[in-house]
Parts: sequence; structure tokens; C-alpha cells
Amino acid sequence: MAPVVEAVELKKTYMLGKIPVEALRGVNLKVESGDFLAILGPSGSGKSTMLNLVGALDKPTAGTLLIDGVDVSKLNDNQLADLRRRVGFVFQFFNLIPRFTARDNVELSMSIAGVSKVERKKQAEDLLETVGLKDRMNHKPAELSGGQQQRVAIARALANNPRFLLLDEPTGNIDSKTAHEVMDIIKSLNEKGVTTIMVTHDQHLARAAKRTVQMFDGVITLDVVNGELT
Amino acid sequence: MRARDVFGYSFSAIKLRKLRAGLTTLGVLIGIAAIVALLSITQGLQNTITMQLETGLATDTLIVSPGGGAFGGGQDGGGFGGGAFGGADSGFRLLVNDTQTINGLSTDILTSIAVIQRSGYINSTEHERVTTIVGVDFAEYKNIYSTTFVSESGEIPDNPDNNTIIIGKRVNERQNGTVLFTAGEDVQILWTNATARPPQNESYTAHVATVLQEVGGFAFGGPSDSNIYIPISTAQEFFNTSECEIIIVKLANSDQATIDAVSRKIVDEFAGEVSVISSTAVLNLLGSVFSIIELFLVGIAAISLLVAGIGIMNIMIVSLIERTREIGILKALGMKSRTVLAIFLGESVIIGVIGAVIGIALGWLLANIVATVLGSGAITIGMGGGAGAGGGLLSITPVLTPLVFLGAFGFGVGVSVIFALYPAWRASKLKPVEALRYE
Repeated sequence: MAPVVEAVELKKTYMLGKIPVEALRGVNLKVESGDFLAILGPSGSGKSTMLNLVGALDKPTAGTLLIDGVDVSKLNDNQLADLRRRVGFVFQFFNLIPRFTARDNVELSMSIAGVSKVERKKQAEDLLETVGLKDRMNHKPAELSGGQQQRVAIARALANNPRFLLLDEPTGNIDSKTAHEVMDIIKSLNEKGVTTIMVTHDQHLARAAKRTVQMFDGVITLDVVNGELT
Repeated sequence: MRARDVFGYSFSAIKLRKLRAGLTTLGVLIGIAAIVALLSITQGLQNTITMQLETGLATDTLIVSPGGGAFGGGQDGGGFGGGAFGGADSGFRLLVNDTQTINGLSTDILTSIAVIQRSGYINSTEHERVTTIVGVDFAEYKNIYSTTFVSESGEIPDNPDNNTIIIGKRVNERQNGTVLFTAGEDVQILWTNATARPPQNESYTAHVATVLQEVGGFAFGGPSDSNIYIPISTAQEFFNTSECEIIIVKLANSDQATIDAVSRKIVDEFAGEVSVISSTAVLNLLGSVFSIIELFLVGIAAISLLVAGIGIMNIMIVSLIERTREIGILKALGMKSRTVLAIFLGESVIIGVIGAVIGIALGWLLANIVATVLGSGAITIGMGGGAGAGGGLLSITPVLTPLVFLGAFGFGVGVSVIFALYPAWRASKLKPVEALRYE
């Protein structure tokens, strides 16, 4: 089976005004199906850029990036949008639509993918049950705690049966107690076979992952699988 | 994304900011209401006036009057007036027996009659009334204006005695309904000959043969409620003249080609000293005058809609900036640029449709209120034809043609969409990474 994500000599250069900034300077990474990978690194290490590229939100400057076997740099805006539907994005700040209920938020990603109303209603209810929020599904984000909001976001990310979950500091904005609950859900999802890529600067959080890569200054400096250096 | 879901998303975004959306819609609504109200009133007014004119007009007639220059009946509708005002008096006089010349001009001419007209008085022992005395050949006049030169009771004599008169409905009745003159009564007809030195009053005793049915419209050559009618021979003798004011020509048919050809022949025959006006030319002219008025009014109303459009654009740009992050989320979830565009345009379509529908309803209501106020006599506009006529009420029935309805609807929605294009395009072009980073 082809890797879920494969990066070869991946480079990304931003223009900060007139000054080019090399955010990624040749990243090589392969993520296999079923993996639970944590990308660790301080701010400025290039991990957010890596996240944007792996999430198909942006295109690389050089090198190759295959997501689900598709070469990202060859895609136009429309095809990128299509590819994003195969990525389950979970953001640090939840990024739920405030005027929608929990269920409508979960339905939204399916609605974007063109799933029928009946089908998405059922799927949304099932997913909210999975994350333990079935009884809160008619509440709006403002009526939910941070942990609950993040669980809604996870349910939304899973809605289109993505190839992998892409988490950006998933517990960065919630208290430590509920952070545990959220991480437990993520772990159990991975145990059920959901490939997971998590970007964080939190060493503790990274321990939940089977594999950890350390980024620094735009390159991967360390790659640890099940506690063993590779 | 399915169309229904796109629409649902647009609607949810509008619902979130009810006041803002309401005010934006109000802008469209007012513009559309103004257009619909102005157009349906103008259309109603035009219909009223045209109808009144048509009552007094026969489309297969031409009116020949002295004073050359104008050639009536052309599609340009330029037959009104012409030389009537301008130029020095050439000394040309239109004579009663010119009808014979005209009759011989074309096989399209069925007949023609001369009309002599003077202001005067009609007196009974108890009443006196100012009127217009019209001398015509009763039989021919009846033939041309078969629907309007009709007696209320009894017959209009074909070969009247010299002292026979026929009186118009309004000459006979005051506003309160008192009958002034009755059929069979003897009355005095008076006229002041101002050209005589010194001015001289002429009078004779006439016999009222019958009263005309109410004509109701303008008198343009045709019968009028405020005139009295005497035989042409009596008129020539009484007014001591062989000249006439107009000659009415009846044509075999009323198509434009015949009207043009005959009009030209008559003008040529009198070496350009006469004007020929066709009823259709008058109606055409009226139509084009109303078109200009409509265009002018709609232009003003359209400006208000333009302002509404700018309002929509403004509000959409604000909305776009506020929702930058939301757009980023949507794109991160896999929404395509064209769907983002459709959502924003969908919002403007909803605003446009609601504004247009309510605007049309409100405009129609306004038009009816205005028409009712005018019709109730709060404002009275004199519409009586002929000389010395009394005032009548202006009754307008506002008309909302399908064209105006659809046009107003399309214009309202169109303006909304056009002004939303730029903000929607900008929203669709947002880069997901940057939009997500937006605070």
C-alpha cells in the first residue's frame, strides 16, 4: 500500500516582504497507513508550514509531496480543494462555525463533499456518539466547553472518512483535564486504524504517538519510532 | 456542494445579521417600489388619456386645418401643430366647399365635411350658457362619428330644418343634474361678431331637436359634450362666412400607408397651406411623450436602486472581511472557490429577490393609493375637451404590465447580483492559509 504521505526533499520559501524565508529546507518523510506520527518542534522550526503542505492548504516551492499518492504540486486550486476532503483537519482553535449546532458543523464537511442530507444526518449522529457528544449535538459551539468543541471538530474531521487525521496542537487551547479526554479519543481512533499526524510543540503530548519526528530550522533532525531512533 | 446546500448556507449567513440584511434589502425595496409605482401610475394615466382621446377620435379620419407646414400622420408623430403658430399670415383661407376638392383627390377618401366653429351662447327663458357653436352636415358627421354623435333619445335628423340644433350632454346639465334645456324647446342662439365695426350681436331662434349621449372624451374634431350643433348651411348664413375651421376627412381604411399618402396629397393640393393631422399621429405623439416621461421617471428611480446596489457592495465587503476566517475554514474543509463565490452571490440573490418582491407589492400598493387619492377628487384636473368645458375627475387605474413586473424583478435581482460580484470574487480568491490565520 502506498504511503499516506510521502515527502522528498520538500522545500517551501515564503516572501516576507522582499526577504525570502526558507521555512522548509529539504524535508524527507514517509507516513504509512495506520501510523500515529507527532511532529515536534519549537516555533519557527517549520512545523506549521509542514502542516499546511500536508493539509493541501498550500503548495511546495520545490521537492515532491505525495498525499494519498497524489503529487500536490501538479494540482490546481480545484483539485487541491478535492484533495482536502481526504484530509481530516483539526485546528488548535477548533474553527467551528459559531452559528451552526454541533451536528450542523459535522454535517458541513459532508455537505461540502456533496453528501445527501439524509446520509449526513445519520453519519453526523454516529460520529458525535463516537466522540461522546450525542446528547450535546443540538448545542452551538458557544454552549460547549473547549474540550467538547474540539471533540466536535474531530467528529467533523472524520466525517468524510479521510485518509488521515491532521491535528494542529489539538489540546493547545483546552485545559489539561479535558486535554486528556481529547487525547484518549485520538488514541482510540488510531487504534481503530485511523492514520494520525499531529503537529505540536508539547513533548508530553507527543508521547501518545507511536512515532515522533523532531523539526528544527526547516529540516527533520530526529525520527523516533516506538522509542527507538531510526 | 449541492445547490440546495449552497443556498441554505447563504440563508444561514443572512439570518445571522438580520438588521444589516434588512436594511440592505430596504434599499433595493425602495428603489423597486419607486419604479413600479411610477410606471404603473404613468401607464394608468396614459391609458386613461388614450381612452378618452380614442372615444373622441376615429382612427380612420384626418383633420385638415389652415396653416401650412406640418405634415401629419408620419410615424415620427410630428404632425401636431407645425405651422399653426409660426410664420406670417399668408392669407390662406380654408373654405367650406374645399371639401369637393378633397373628395376628388383619392379613391381612399370616402367623404369629407367642413366644420365651422364659434363661441356663443345658448339661452332659454330661464337659463343662459356659454357654449361652442359647431356647424356641420348632420348626416355626414353622424356617418363619421357613428359611435359618439348619437342622440340620447330619438333620431338625429339627416335633413334638418335650418333652425334645428343638437346639444351636447354637458351643455344640458349642470353638475347637480338640473336639466337646462329639453328636446322640443325653442332657444335663442347668440353670437358676437367681433370683426364687425362696431362688434355686433347676432341671434336667431332655434329648435332643440335632441340631446346627445354622453361622449365623455376629448373632442378632437369629433363630438364633444360641451358643444351645440347646427346645420352647416345655417352656420354659413349665421356667421356670414364661407370659411371653415377644419375639414374632417374620412378614409376607406386606417392603415398608416393610406394615411400618409392621402395626407401628402391634401397638403400638396393646397400648396402646403394646410396641416393634416391624423388621429393615429396624435395617439403616437401622446405615446412618445409618455415614453419620455416614463424614461425620465424610471431614470430617477433607477438612481435610487444604484445607491442600493452600492449599499449591497459595501455590506458584502464588510461581511467578507468579517468572515475571512470562516471562508478559510470552508476552504480547509475542501470547499471550492466557485462554491464560495456561489454562497456570496446566493446571499445577494436572496436580498434581491426579497427586496424586489416586497418592492413590487409596495409599489403597486402606493400606485393604488395615489390613484384613489386622485380619483376621490382631492385633486381635480380639468379634462373637458373643447371650449368652455367644465372640469372632470381624473380617474386613473394603475396598470402593472407583465413587462414592468418582470423588468422590476429582474432589475432588482440584477443590481443586487452585479454589485455583489466583486466582493464574492474577492471572497472566492482568498488563500486558505492566510484566511485561517486571520483574526
